[in-house]
Amino acid sequence: VTSPILAYDFFDCLFGIDAREEGFDVVAVLYSTSTGNRMMPAHALPRWARGADLPDLTGVYRGADWHERETWDMFGIEFTDHPASSPASSPRRTSRASRCARTSTSPRAWPSPGPVVKEPAELDEDGNVIERVPRIGDAPGPYELDKAMAEQAKLANPAPETPRPRPRRSRGRSPSPRPRARTSPRPSIDQATYDALIAEGKSERIARSKAKAAFVKKQRQQAADDASDQAAETESGQAVEQDAERAEVAEDSGQVLSGDVEQQAEEAETQATEAAEAGRGAGGVRAAGGRRGAGRGRRGSVRGGGVRDRQGGDQAPRGGRGARPQGRGAGPIDAEQDDDASDQREGEEDA
Amino acid sequence: VSDLTTRETVMPGTAPGEDLLLEVTGDGDFQTADMQLSIGPAHPATHGVLRIIVELDGERIVKATPVIGYMHRGFEKLAEHRDYRQIMALVNRHDWLSGFCNEVGVALAVEKMMEMEVPERAEWIRMLIFEWNRILNHLMFVGSFALELGAITPMFHAFREREDIQYLLESATGGRLHFTYNQVGGLKQDLPKGFLAESRRLVDVLRKRLVDYDDLVLGNEIFHARTKGVGALPQDVATSFGVSGPILQATGIPEDSRVTEPYLRYGELDSIEVPVGENGDSYDRFYCLLNRIRVSVDIIDEIHDRIPAGPVNVRLPKVVKAPEGATYVRTENPLGQLGYYLVSDGKKTPWRLKMRTPSFSNVAMVPYLLDGVLLPDLIAVLGSVFFVVGDVDR
Repeated sequence: VTSPILAYDFFDCLFGIDAREEGFDVVAVLYSTSTGNRMMPAHALPRWARGADLPDLTGVYRGADWHERETWDMFGIEFTDHPASSPASSPRRTSRASRCARTSTSPRAWPSPGPVVKEPAELDEDGNVIERVPRIGDAPGPYELDKAMAEQAKLANPAPETPRPRPRRSRGRSPSPRPRARTSPRPSIDQATYDALIAEGKSERIARSKAKAAFVKKQRQQAADDASDQAAETESGQAVEQDAERAEVAEDSGQVLSGDVEQQAEEAETQATEAAEAGRGAGGVRAAGGRRGAGRGRRGSVRGGGVRDRQGGDQAPRGGRGARPQGRGAGPIDAEQDDDASDQREGEEDA
Repeated sequence: VSDLTTRETVMPGTAPGEDLLLEVTGDGDFQTADMQLSIGPAHPATHGVLRIIVELDGERIVKATPVIGYMHRGFEKLAEHRDYRQIMALVNRHDWLSGFCNEVGVALAVEKMMEMEVPERAEWIRMLIFEWNRILNHLMFVGSFALELGAITPMFHAFREREDIQYLLESATGGRLHFTYNQVGGLKQDLPKGFLAESRRLVDVLRKRLVDYDDLVLGNEIFHARTKGVGALPQDVATSFGVSGPILQATGIPEDSRVTEPYLRYGELDSIEVPVGENGDSYDRFYCLLNRIRVSVDIIDEIHDRIPAGPVNVRLPKVVKAPEGATYVRTENPLGQLGYYLVSDGKKTPWRLKMRTPSFSNVAMVPYLLDGVLLPDLIAVLGSVFFVVGDVDR
């Protein structure tokens, strides 16, 4: 190869660009090492031509060989007289590839322009061409026809009333009652309060929360009334065990100890303290205190007998509270009241 | 059978001053069948999956045909379906030895199209890490070229330095190879505390050890014998192929984008020395490579004193869109000139991102170099045409 003396001596690169409707651009980037100038000549190709008249640059720049080959690989653009274009040198150069083309990848979509057959134009009386843009509904296409036929068929044969399918049960196991959740996911609300608040113009969220609070308050009131009724029926002499049991029930069901029960519990506490001081375990009488203490211990409270129960360093394991040392800051009775107050709070939470 | 009584003296090498004479027996009519030998795609000397089909006449290569494309990953097409933030992570994988430099190219192209003002500190830090990445790349080839010629020691030296530099860059970028530290409009974050002090220390270390490389490799007699006069490349052929980087400089053309078309803040540096060779043979290519490390070390030393304070990035919109148009950005990558031709149609992904990679043009020139060399010299030639196969195929 005789190398010509070129001003733009540095062959930077050559590549194709998909230029949409205009076809392809083939861009070569040339650079001059002596002057530092750069030139980017571009050649526009119609999409259907793909380089019918694009000459090969290899004779001028040796580096064009590989770049042109890559352009052929990526866009299917051919360069006439390219060293690799003869079938003998590369048998795989028989198909037109266009891997990097952005729009249509099939060369068939871009046929060479020939005589185009057009429908005869529709003319009005004056001889002007009537331009018609077909619209949906001009003529029923297959889809519209299908839809119409389906409509008619539905009218002719109305579907029979089918019973609602029953929800499927899980197979293999007998339906066992699930344990009821302690808290319902959607707590009830007091509808009257809710309506009143909505009527006042409060937001739904505030109305709902206040109505919920009212509902809880009402339920608590009701529970307290029930408890006081029952307490009035019982006799005070044998009350300790029963009260304790009721207190358990009340706690387990998430309700609140009534004031009356509190009173009795206080009495029981006093008795128990005396018994403990007398050096005996509280026994069955103190079962209630022990249970409740244990329960509190389970919730992580550091107060009361439960903690010592767990520690196991007590003289009276079941009657833990009775063995409380007197040197502590709060007396047993105060502590008990305190405990009940905390129970009440917990009861609120449960409700 | 040819006449075996005639004798002819030929000069096998093309190097000036080489006195190796070879006596050929016979009149040259002795017919031998050409042999076709396929080197690669899994040959260690090809640095990856490059295959070279050589036609041999005896030991002499008649024709060499590189077969590329084993590692074609379609990055140019893939980039058309990724936004500019993702392209950053994409382009540092085509030349995995100079990931940061590739990122800078894309960032510059997008910033040029958006006419974005990049903070000064970001540009200086980009330059700093650009040069460190160049040293990383060159050290790799210093080690591997010597290894292919049979010297194992330089590899260990090179990797010791590489490890230090990678550790340094990891502290700033979080990556050892694919840094992804750039973003459009600057850098992801500022340098960590103590980076510059450690960088200064490494510069001192590297200056001392570059002397070792000179002694170990360039001063080695065997290295001279293997590389001098092997694979000489004339200037006009080099430019005609679009060869760039140390290979072009070895032919004597002081072409360096940092000097001729300064990007970032390279124009503000005191001076950038461009090492050049004499006749473009393997020795000169390696000489230029080693000296480019030295130049980079000098640049880094200067950058240390000139990094200003300030922000390292700009506030970007949620979706970065380059406006409609096209631009061409060229950077001086370690292996040569990397060009990104970015065509945007105003969307968040480029319409076309042409990657003009240095290795592609450099490997395209290999058949010219291998024409007529002895087969053992193929290694010396191929090792001195510094390329990364991922950069060839993209």
